Amino acid sequence: MHVIETQNLSKEYTAKFSKQKVNALNEFTFNVEQGEIFGLLGPNGAGKTTLIKILLAITFPTSGSAKLFGTDVTNYKAKTKVGYLPENHKFPSYLTGEQVLSYYGQLSGMSTGADMNKRIDEMLGMMNLTQWRKTKIKKYSKGMMQKLGLAQSMLSDPDLIFLDEPTDGVDPIGRKEIRDILAQIKARGKTIFLNSHLLSEVEMICDRVAILNKGDLIKEGNVDDLTRAENIFAIHTVDALSMDIKQKVLAIDSSAGIGEKEINTEAGIDKLNGIIDTLRSGGVKIQTVNQKTSTLEELFINVIKKDNTN
Amino acid sequence: MLTIIKNTFREALAKKIFIGYYIFYAIVILIMIFLVNMDSVEGVMSLTDSKMLVHQVETGFLTISWNLIIFFSLISTASFIPSMLEKGTIDLLISKPISRPMILISKYLGAVLFVFLSMVFLMGSIWLILSLKSGYWDPTFLLSIVWFTIAFAVMYSIVVVVGLTTQSTVVAILVNFFLIFVLCPLLSVREAVIFSLVTNETVKFVFDFLYYLLPKPGEFRDITTALINGETINMWKSTVNTETSMFTVSWLSPISSVLFCFVLMAYSIYYFAKKDY
Repeated sequence: MHVIETQNLSKEYTAKFSKQKVNALNEFTFNVEQGEIFGLLGPNGAGKTTLIKILLAITFPTSGSAKLFGTDVTNYKAKTKVGYLPENHKFPSYLTGEQVLSYYGQLSGMSTGADMNKRIDEMLGMMNLTQWRKTKIKKYSKGMMQKLGLAQSMLSDPDLIFLDEPTDGVDPIGRKEIRDILAQIKARGKTIFLNSHLLSEVEMICDRVAILNKGDLIKEGNVDDLTRAENIFAIHTVDALSMDIKQKVLAIDSSAGIGEKEINTEAGIDKLNGIIDTLRSGGVKIQTVNQKTSTLEELFINVIKKDNTN
Repeated sequence: MLTIIKNTFREALAKKIFIGYYIFYAIVILIMIFLVNMDSVEGVMSLTDSKMLVHQVETGFLTISWNLIIFFSLISTASFIPSMLEKGTIDLLISKPISRPMILISKYLGAVLFVFLSMVFLMGSIWLILSLKSGYWDPTFLLSIVWFTIAFAVMYSIVVVVGLTTQSTVVAILVNFFLIFVLCPLLSVREAVIFSLVTNETVKFVFDFLYYLLPKPGEFRDITTALINGETINMWKSTVNTETSMFTVSWLSPISSVLFCFVLMAYSIYYFAKKDY
């Protein structure tokens, strides 16, 4: 059983005044497995928040289906084992940090009593908010509110947590703390569904990502696989390359980048081997051959650019 | 459900408007304590006189303050629905394993229960003061707590539906103001006032239709005062004696108002359950 499962999920909005139809999601099909940290990427308006809202039945799809733990999301019981931190969440300002956790804990089905109080203590401690527990949250900073939101989403010890921009407004130290907490949660076999604009962060945290653009799923896969540039190789040599060797290399791959002791090629495995053979037959000692990797940010920009051009 | 009701109470108590609300109640109670004089010149009043005087004070109080208190109660609770629908609040609420109808009903009941307890405090205090002062202990006045709460619940269903569809507290208050102070009182006396000016049967039908369709918050007060004074209550039709201007309320008024409330709440629940947030 998949933790999250969608089949041909589509969402069409109709603009209020112009009555123009906008596709927020197109035939979106994907699964998330238990214990994964899954990242959802995309430019503004790509359909990321719409997808999360459909998965939590905050918004309804125009067509298609979505399931959490095998139960259709329209059944509110599907959300029993789910935690959620919305982007720009708003807690009742008249409550203290402790009361916020108690309120949302009860709404998540927790019973009041020693167990819940213990869990609240744990969460506040984990977020370094213990000393602020009796303070009304209207006095909290943006970072504190974000940490409280995260504590709220984890309070009932859910098996699946949706986090929409969890580090928004949090300072670098706080962000590191949040990343560590997410790693701890993952180590306990929990599933995290992360929506973030901070690609470096997603790259550090996520196992798998999906890239959305204009409601379409344009790339999905393992972070390591996606960031590995398919046909870009760098050959480093021990000796400096002679003019003769350089010309022979250019005869194999005219677009190769050649330095004093380095050759970069994007021409594929066959030509890479041809270049290596040329170097070896020319008596050049090879130090390393590396497949180049790109950052998630580079990948993201390339993929979106390509999709927009198409 | 209890969690949301409890939080609605917290929300109510956190609002500054409730301080004003309770200052108003305190002034009313102080007036009853210090200004209402139940002593006769000879020192002791007969039971009949006491009874009559108590009924007069109770009826007078309800006549003057009924619509005003309903309106105050609506003003102070009108923001509950729009504030629940704010972005970042509603998402979180719906993401919890609670059905949408349950969320809305709990919010509605929270507001109604809060007003009920406020009425227990206000009407209960007034009843206690009058009873202690007069020595006449008639619990009929306490029915005003129930009738007032039902009248509020009916009018609050309008706040709920307007709040859900417009997400505006101001519009919800304005609609209620128009109904409580303009349209509904006018429709109650349509036969004596409007029909004496209008002869067109279609127009009369429209006014009759509106009267039976819309809630009648003021007639809940008339039911209460009629019960206190032991007056007649018609079964199906409220009437106005054109010679004496005497208004006789009917049981149809609360029945049709409660039906109106049920229909509006059913629509609100349906709307809330289907809406994208």
